[in-house]
This record gives sequence, C-alpha cells and structure tokens, in this order.
Amino acid sequence: MTSFQRGQLERIRLHVLPTKRFKTFAISLFAGVPLNEEKVTPIALIPFVLRRGTAKTPETIAFREKLDDLYGAGFGFDVYKRGDSQIVQFRMDVINDQFVSSDQSLLAASISFLGDALTDPCLENGGFRAKYVEAEKATLRKRLEAIVNDKIRYAAERCIEEMCADEPYRLHPLGRLADIDGITPESLYRQYEEWLQSAALDLYVVGDTSLEEVTQLVEKAFKLKPGAPASYVRPKVDVPVRDVKVVVDKMDVSQGKLNMGLRTGISYDDKLYPAVLMYNGILGGYPHSKLFINVREKESLAYYAASRLDGHKGICTIQSGIEFANYEKAVAIIKEQLESMKQGQLSELEMNQTKAMISGHLRELQDSAYEMLSYDFNSVLTGNVRTSAELLEQVQAVTPAEITEVAKRVQLDTIYFLRDRKEA
Amino acid sequence: METLKYPKVQETLYREVLDNGLEVIVLPKEGFQKTYATFSTKYGSVDNVFAVGDEEAKRVPDGIAHFLEHKMFEEPEGDIFAVFASQGASANAYTTFDRTVYLFSATEKIRENLTTLIDFVQRPYFTDANVDKEKGIIEQEINMYRDNADWRVYFGLIDALYHKHPVHIDIAGTVESIYQIDKETLYRCYETFYHPSNMLLFVVGGVNAEEIMQLVRDNQKAKTFKPQGEIKRFFDEEPTSVKIPRKVSQLPVSLPKCMLGFKEKRVGLEGAEQLKNEVTTKLMLDALVGPSSKLYQSLYERSLISDSFGHEYNSSRDYAFSVLGGDTPDPDALIEGLREGITEAITKGIDQQTFERSKRKKIGSYLRMLNSPESIAGEFTRYRFRDSDMFDVLNFYEACTLDEVNARLREHFDFNQLAVSIVEKTNASE
Repeated sequence: MTSFQRGQLERIRLHVLPTKRFKTFAISLFAGVPLNEEKVTPIALIPFVLRRGTAKTPETIAFREKLDDLYGAGFGFDVYKRGDSQIVQFRMDVINDQFVSSDQSLLAASISFLGDALTDPCLENGGFRAKYVEAEKATLRKRLEAIVNDKIRYAAERCIEEMCADEPYRLHPLGRLADIDGITPESLYRQYEEWLQSAALDLYVVGDTSLEEVTQLVEKAFKLKPGAPASYVRPKVDVPVRDVKVVVDKMDVSQGKLNMGLRTGISYDDKLYPAVLMYNGILGGYPHSKLFINVREKESLAYYAASRLDGHKGICTIQSGIEFANYEKAVAIIKEQLESMKQGQLSELEMNQTKAMISGHLRELQDSAYEMLSYDFNSVLTGNVRTSAELLEQVQAVTPAEITEVAKRVQLDTIYFLRDRKEA
Repeated sequence: METLKYPKVQETLYREVLDNGLEVIVLPKEGFQKTYATFSTKYGSVDNVFAVGDEEAKRVPDGIAHFLEHKMFEEPEGDIFAVFASQGASANAYTTFDRTVYLFSATEKIRENLTTLIDFVQRPYFTDANVDKEKGIIEQEINMYRDNADWRVYFGLIDALYHKHPVHIDIAGTVESIYQIDKETLYRCYETFYHPSNMLLFVVGGVNAEEIMQLVRDNQKAKTFKPQGEIKRFFDEEPTSVKIPRKVSQLPVSLPKCMLGFKEKRVGLEGAEQLKNEVTTKLMLDALVGPSSKLYQSLYERSLISDSFGHEYNSSRDYAFSVLGGDTPDPDALIEGLREGITEAITKGIDQQTFERSKRKKIGSYLRMLNSPESIAGEFTRYRFRDSDMFDVLNFYEACTLDEVNARLREHFDFNQLAVSIVEKTNASE
C-alpha cells in the first residue's frame, strides 16, 4: 500500500496518492476557517457563487457544459463543521482517460477547472457578478429554511444548537438566515479574498498520477498569492455540564424525534480516542448495540435508535423516532444504557463485535478514494498523524476498563424532543 | 463456471447456475479490501397476488415482502446481526417494488460471512410472538416516512399515476395492512419466493472466484429444496390513463414540493428492448432537464427550481414512468414552465451538440459507478431480474442516436399522461 505524497505550493498543501485501483481521479480541496458568527454566512455563500461561472467561462450553462464534456466530471461542494472549524470542501471526480477516447488529459482539465472556479471567479464592478450573488442568496436561504423538512436532521440540528448555545459550534455550517440579506456582491468579494488568504487549504488527488504531475498542474491552474499554509484551531472539548437541559419543540409531525447530546470531553488527538470510538459503538453505533437491542428489539419502541460520535468535538449524540406517549419510557431506557456503561457492564461479546465492526470499517476505507482522503484529512485537521492501520491496532487494544473510564467522563447535557402540537 | 469478459471496462465476471436453480455471480476486484455480497430474491412489494404451478391465486396483505425482510433477521438463537458483528461484517437488507436484497460487507472472515448470509436467508423462523413484536417496529418505520416530505411527494405521485398496479402501494404497506400479517402467510410467501430458482447471489470484492463458487456449491448441496413450479404473478388490468391528475397533501415544510410524472402508454417491453428504452429515455431526460440544459437554467433563474430539482425514469415490464420535480415556491408556475419547455423541445427537437454532451456525461457516470462494489451488485441484480445485463448499458449508450432520442422525447411526453403530486406547507413550528 503506497501512502500520500506531500507537497506545497504557496498557501496550499498538496496530498497525492498514486494508485491504479480506481477508474477515476478523485480530487478534493478543503478550505477551513474557525467558525465565526459574523463570517459563517458569507463564507457559506462563497462556494454557491463560485459554482456559477468563472472569468473565462462566465455563463453558468457553458460552465456546466465544460463538465459534461469531461465525460460528466462530477463537481460539487459541501459546507460542514469539523470541531470548531467551518470547512468548504470542493469535490471533483473524473474518469481515467484510458477508458474513453479523449483528446485531452481529463486530470489536467479537471484541475484547471477547479483552479479557475476557486481562484479566477466571474467578476464585475469590483465584486462578484450581482445576478449570481442574488440568485445564490436565494438558494442559500432556501437551503437553510429546508432544514426543517427532514425532521430527523432538524431534531439533530436543534439538539446541537441548544446544547452548544454558548459556543461557536451551535452555528449551522450554512450560516444564519438573518445575515443573508445584508450581503452584497462587493462585500462578498472582499470576504472571499480574505477567506482565500486566511483559510487552511488542502488539495487531495487520488488516482493514477504523481505528486510531480499534480504540482505542475496546480501551479498552472491556480492563481495563488504568495504565503504560507494556515493550520486549524483546536476545538474546545472540555465544556462543563451543569444541569441536564430539556427542550421540547412542537410541530405537525406523526412521530416524535428524541435526541440526546452527550459530552465526552475527549478529542480526536486524545489517547482515549480509540476507547471513545468503542464506547459509541457499544452504546449505539450498530444493530448489535445496546440502544438498538433495548429500545427497538426488546421494547418495539422505535424503528431506529442509534448513537453517533463527532470525534473532533467530543460530542456523542443519540437519536430515535418514537410515539409521543413513549417519551418517558424511551428516555428511561436510554438512561439505563448510559448507566450500565458507567457500571462497566460490557460483555466480551460486545467488545469483540464492536472491535470487529470498527476494524472492518477502517479496512474498508482503502476501497474508496474519497474515504481514504477524508480519513487522511483528519491528520491535517488535528495535527495528529495516525494512519488507519495504527488506529486499527489501537482499537484492538482497548480494554473494558478504558471504556468504563470514558463512560464515567461522559455527561448527558441535553435532551431534545420534537413532538406534535397536542397536549401531552 | 462460465467466464464473462468485459474488456471495455476491464472487468471479468464468473457465473454459474447451480442444480437447484440458484444463480451465482462472482466479480473479483483486485486490490480491494472489502467483499460485498448480496443475496436477492425476485420478490418485492408489487407481488401481492400470486400462485405456483396450478394452485389458486391468493392475495396477501400489502407490505408483506418488506415485513418478511425484517423477520428474516431473527433466528431461534437470536438476532443474526450479532453473528455478523462477531465476524466483523455490516449486514443489511432492503425491499423495492420488485426485489428483496440481503447483504453484507466485510474485510475478513469472508467464508464465514458468506455462509451466514446464505444460511440465514434460507432458514425462516417465524413465531406468533416474534411476528407480533415486529408490528410495533414497522409501525414506527411507516410513521417515520409519513413525516418525510420527499417520500410523501414521490409516493404520492406514483399513487396518482396508477389505478390498479400495486406499484402505487407503499412498500412497507399501511399500519392497517401490516396488522393483518400472520406467520402462516409469511411462510407461504417465503416458500414461494425464496426458492433458489428465484434467487441470485452476487459477490464482489477481493475474492477468488473458484473458491467462492465451491463454497456456495457445497453449501447448497447440503440442503434440499423441493422442485418448484413456475411462479405466476397476477396484476389487475391497468388503465392507460392516470388515476388522479393532481394530488395534494400538507406537511410542515419550508417550500412546497412538486413532482410531475408521465405515465407510459406502451408497456410490456422485456430484456434488451426494455434496457434500450431505459437508456434512451434517461439520455433524453438529461438533455432536456439536466443541470446544464437551457430549461433547467431558465427555471433556476426564475427561482422556480433549486438544487433539489431532479429527474428519473422508472421502468419494468408492467409499468414505466418518468419523474421530474423538486422544491418550488410556486408549483403551478413550475408546471407551466416545464410544460412550455417540453412543448418547445417537442417542436424543435434536441440538438446534436446537447445530445453528444449528455451522452458523454452518461457514459462517464456509468464508468464512475463501476468504482463502487455496492452499486455494481445492486445494479447488476436489478437488470438481471429483468433479463438484461448491466454491462450492456455502456454499449447501448454508445449506440444511441439523436433520432432515437428525439423520437423518444415525442413519444414519452404526452400531457394526457401527466399526473402531478404536490406537498403544500402547513405552518412550520410554534
């Protein structure tokens, strides 16, 4: 197994994994800044505007046709939180030329496309093209308003918002509705220039290529100002919990959504991180986990009952969909599971099953270009280099005592319930 | 064991039909850590009236195929998830209109996991108590989907399109229908549709084809299955027309959702003919309303659509329809905008350049799909159950002509065949 080759061009760190395993080239550019109340909304808007056109190809139709001509190269972006950072990830994937009769290098054309989109945008009168900014403001507004449409996600977001009310982490990665109106093409362009000069930038390429080739292509394709790469801020994970916060929202829904937020106080670079992975796995990561068995299989209270870990922020969340009347019962059963973890009630079977599942997942990463580069990006994010093979070994070595130690540190912070409008 | 080479995409398949009728396909992927296996039966939510051989046709409760899928995971010794977990495998299952698929993915203990997969699917264990227990869980699953606006607008559309064909019934059934399910009916469905001759096992990943094949042969030899007559599926005659031209429901959403569906008048296509029709229609839809089309851009600029706008084409022997739509502030303006755009396209036709571009895009996305073992297994099975070959898709895309696409455009878009499904907004929250 070859590993990532590293390089650097001005403010961009380059990470290239040469491999012939895939029929495609996978390209990702990560741009991260600390989550900030004032900046979160304009930064979220930037990629929406950038994907409308470039200086060379200002019209959106022509811009998209270029992608179609590259055998329908995938081009997309995501805006999300990792720890206390707001990250914009641009993604491209394009097929390896050998499978088609192409007259151009598809990798070169794709990197050139990405470089133009990021560093050579379509401008007018000292700002972004006004028409695009207005249209994408509307798109961003719709996206933020649409969070409520998916009740499972909505409840999860609301739980975090309440739980982290005093931290930047409460912010939605797409920003705040109220801040959209005030953005102008000029203010957004200024924000963009500042963002590009301050963000931590990491470009990944996985495919049949080399660091040399990618470096040359990036040098040609990206208009970069001189500077040194930025690094990520360490997220705050040791937030004390006072009383458990209980929040109930009412809406016209058929099913209640019960969410709980827990603080582990353990971050990605903590030596207990492998143990917190095990904790989450045993509690609710899988169909053999305590939540699935006790909430769903034994009591038939729910179709889904699971837990999820944000390893960078040290927050573990529980989610389940239940009948309104079963709220107290479900909360009691979930609390019993948390308590049993504290008491060290871990069977050897649960240990073995969970280790096997996590190990399998870590090995599977190798089969997907995007999974591999996303995993590697964790190292960049935390400054803690731990290969998937090393993490796998550490997970295998986790002891029940370490999991109990994690469980004792875990504190229930918030209980959130989304229910109907009728009186309970 | 038969070897099927597909040099264009650099893949080789190994295939064998065992004595008991089970079809086994192995696709070795060199360098892959993971092995992914699916064990599928050609049995889905639409198969609700059937008979074997000469026996009398019987109607079973809606949602029973999905219910059966849930119940298969329970064994006398307990939950099969636990066994997979001990062997480091992630297991799951899903039910569609026309198939039920059981699967696992794992990076180790492949022989054990494959044996577990085959054995648990071939060993039903239903009791009155465990059947009853499942009803509460599935009721919550149904309620979860009731709150999901995307799901409601989509299934609302299919319900609006079809009068009789069971494709219009929810895959999970209704709370009322699942409470009619008992263990006797489950066994009857199981015995009919889980006979090896109605099933396909697909294994893809870092495996040796002959070793896998031998394991499956030995496993099946040790079990006995009664020979089974032909499975007959019965469908009431479906009128050509749509059932409800406009179907509206309400949910707490930020923006209305609106989907348009065009129901095909001509059905009954099979095998390669059906595949060709599907490929041509998908290419046509992309050229017409894909993200780089003029129609998409003009609707986007008028704020009638957002990134959520999409299109798809669903077809089988007995039903076929297209779906276009997404979130919109004004469903009627969107319907009108699409109507104008489609009418114009019917008159002018799609041009050569747009056609070539869509074709490249489709070929590219097909090749990208081959990176994913999950997609390969899923798509291969889907096509196989319709007597066609997923690896032919590339040839059909390459062979597709502009004339065919324009002919398809004019045949498909008949506004008498249009149904619309809308989810309107109620007040979002207090």
